[in-house]
Amino acid sequence: MVGAGLAGMRAAIEAARSGLDVAIVSKIYPVRSHSVAAQGGINAAMKATDSWEAHMFDTVKGSDYLGDQDAIEVMCRQAPSDILELEKMGAVFSRDSEGNIAQRPFGGAGYPRTCYLADRTGHGMLHVMYEQLLKHGVFIYDEWHVLKLVVEDGSARGLIAIELDTGKLHRLHSKSVIIATGGYGRVYRTTTNALSSTGDGMGLALDAGLALMDMEFVQFHPTVLARTGILMTEGARGEGGFLLNSKGERFMEKYAPKVKELASRDVVSRAEQTEIEEGRGVDGCVLLDLRHLGAEKIKSKLSQIRALAIDFAGVDPVTSPVPVKPGHHYSMGGIATDKDGRTAIPGLFTAGESACVSVHGANRLGGNSLLETIVFGRRAGTSASEYCKTTEAKPFPESALKDACHSVATILKREEGESIFAIKKGMNDAMEDFCGIFRNKDRLAKGYEKIKELRERYKKAALVDRSDYFNNELLHYLELGQMLDISECILLGAMNREESRGSHFRTDFPKRDDEKWLKHTLAFKENGEFRLDYRDVSVTKFKPEERKY
Amino acid sequence: MKIKFRIRRYNPHDSKAPEPYYQAYTVDVTEGMTVLEALLKISEEQDSTLSFRKSCRSAICGSCAMTVNGFARLTCNLQVLPEHSKMGEMTIEPLANHRPVKDLVVDMTPFWNKMEKVSPFLMPTEKTAQNAVTAEDEEVIDQSQRCIMCACCNAECNSLEIDERFTAPAALAKAWRFVGDVREGHGVKRLARLSEEHGMWDCVRCIHCTQYCPKGVAPLKQIERLRSAAMKAGILDNPGAKHVEAMADSVEKFGRLDEAAMTFKTLGFLKSLGKIPLGIRMELHGKMPHPYIVPQIERIEEVREIYKEIEKTAALKEKKKE
Repeated sequence: MVGAGLAGMRAAIEAARSGLDVAIVSKIYPVRSHSVAAQGGINAAMKATDSWEAHMFDTVKGSDYLGDQDAIEVMCRQAPSDILELEKMGAVFSRDSEGNIAQRPFGGAGYPRTCYLADRTGHGMLHVMYEQLLKHGVFIYDEWHVLKLVVEDGSARGLIAIELDTGKLHRLHSKSVIIATGGYGRVYRTTTNALSSTGDGMGLALDAGLALMDMEFVQFHPTVLARTGILMTEGARGEGGFLLNSKGERFMEKYAPKVKELASRDVVSRAEQTEIEEGRGVDGCVLLDLRHLGAEKIKSKLSQIRALAIDFAGVDPVTSPVPVKPGHHYSMGGIATDKDGRTAIPGLFTAGESACVSVHGANRLGGNSLLETIVFGRRAGTSASEYCKTTEAKPFPESALKDACHSVATILKREEGESIFAIKKGMNDAMEDFCGIFRNKDRLAKGYEKIKELRERYKKAALVDRSDYFNNELLHYLELGQMLDISECILLGAMNREESRGSHFRTDFPKRDDEKWLKHTLAFKENGEFRLDYRDVSVTKFKPEERKY
Repeated sequence: MKIKFRIRRYNPHDSKAPEPYYQAYTVDVTEGMTVLEALLKISEEQDSTLSFRKSCRSAICGSCAMTVNGFARLTCNLQVLPEHSKMGEMTIEPLANHRPVKDLVVDMTPFWNKMEKVSPFLMPTEKTAQNAVTAEDEEVIDQSQRCIMCACCNAECNSLEIDERFTAPAALAKAWRFVGDVREGHGVKRLARLSEEHGMWDCVRCIHCTQYCPKGVAPLKQIERLRSAAMKAGILDNPGAKHVEAMADSVEKFGRLDEAAMTFKTLGFLKSLGKIPLGIRMELHGKMPHPYIVPQIERIEEVREIYKEIEKTAALKEKKKE
């Protein structure tokens, strides 16, 4: 397993349960993984008055019809049993007055179906998964960063990783590898993602010859704190919070008359950005007003949100509205995979945010990402076990370790060159300014040129820290390389897709175009250059129709 | 505002400077900037050789705990300006009670090992698995499950400082997370193990863990819950439980602590003999309580009334529960 967030640990547990010898490799200790920061909740049709079909429809509509319906069906059907499985493992969910698992309304959902533990659902789930990881005796290689997925003669052989503590390189020989390394949020300047969300697995997959799918679909969350990008959960609106502009108007009434603040995230983020750009913002923000919920509700159901607003924005939501703006939050795109976590390379599997099944299509609904991690994490674990049980171990290529050592030594030895931090800043600015919520041909082209230039500069960058032990700068250098590749995939996909769908909004092509663009983008890396291809979308139950909230 | 940071640097593998030293950096601090942001600024703009852990930067992943101006803090939710104006300095060091590896990075292995030792996962029986967790049941374990494993509590723990084998507050709070869960099936077995040496009774109740926890876990409170659950479960054959019983007895009998007798009751006669040298040293330093034989206080019956009252309330509580 590469990556120890929810999807990775869930997969590892499933594989361990089937009797396999499983190890998990992660550049941070499992409980540090960014799944821990998920706040709002996890969707499942748990009640008799709800149904998996309704959940499926909301998800398909939310995805702007780009989600693969066969995969979405699997996810929505299996959601309730996976939630109950979590409970069996030890998870605690908030309860309603009748003692059932409580559910709150979330954006884009026609039914209150988001289960939660106050406003720290991810934290609760991640720690339970870590507990189970220990229970099942999965070996943890923590603070090991993967340098390379080793593929030989078309099948996975294991990987090469660097032990950050000592700088030593190791070969981990295995029959199969599952990648679950999460998102790439740090590509953007304002992101809710952790400092460690650098899309490592996606970059590794590109290098191994796999395709990244639908990378142009980038989710901007409507409510993040301006300076730091820290998330204010959608649950805040689910519990009844309002969004106000500088005139004190609930502006969502204009953009989504029926559901207002609880429209899907792409719709709300665009509305906010429009308000801000048209001069009805407050210092580049809009206001998230929770005051009418009352102190008691805020303190019990949104206590973390309150602490974050106080610590990071100096505002107590009990007494004042919180300035928020849209900020990068999630990557709908990722390593192309099927609903069993398989990739195009036998023995390589993937799940979670680093994967693209695709269940989120062009826009993910809140509460569906935690769900994806446990449903498809489990399924990837099962697939990998089956693969391991029916496949003989193949030899690990002798040269792989030597080559990796050589390339790390080359980086460490480089005497003179630019600082990586200037390059990183250039990337953040380019992606934020040219590949944000509103896109057009010129902006995207500018961003693309900039990233190309940065990729050249990156090749010549040098480190100040040349030591082996806990060399943070080396880690950041490696991460930056992956992020530049990912940025280029995002930009290429966005430039090519001449339509607006879900989170991808082109001011020069403001309409959805099903005839030309009801298809997935695939990005490949070949000899250092990127190439695009396309794949059909699975449409089973719901024919595409206009999307209104 | 320009603020001077004093940061403890350490790289045992640097042949030129293998010993720890302090390095000063001046950072232009803006309103709202956190200590972690300042460290990132230093590493990006001044000195990229500085090593420290960080990830979520929103006080939920637990990576970035360090010693700031002498106390264990999460650096990501601590703002520089108020901290600086309160303390008059900005000194950043690695967490205490843990071996520094490089700069501000400490070896967390003992911390994780302690976690593993308390079997940190639910072990329901077929019967207990059926118990649904009500809102009230959740309340009992709510604090303990807020833990982010940042190790601030262990870093400030006085017992851990003198006994590295002490289970320590973080893992004990985690243990309560399961003992207190209505679905747990092996609570009593857990309590028995936790009552052994280096376990829950080795806490000296200095309250540091609760004071320095950034997430309101209140580890001491969870340790107290473990202790009373253990005694209720009849796990009394250990110095900790005996000490509590001796204390209660002594107060009931004399209205005050008979400290000499407490030693005998807690440790038993033979082990108490081993404490004689300590007693002599205490006497020489004027630390021995006098007189050696404790007289009963006046109006002892009032104390006993309190005991009766406590027992009545406890019985009532039990009845309510049933």
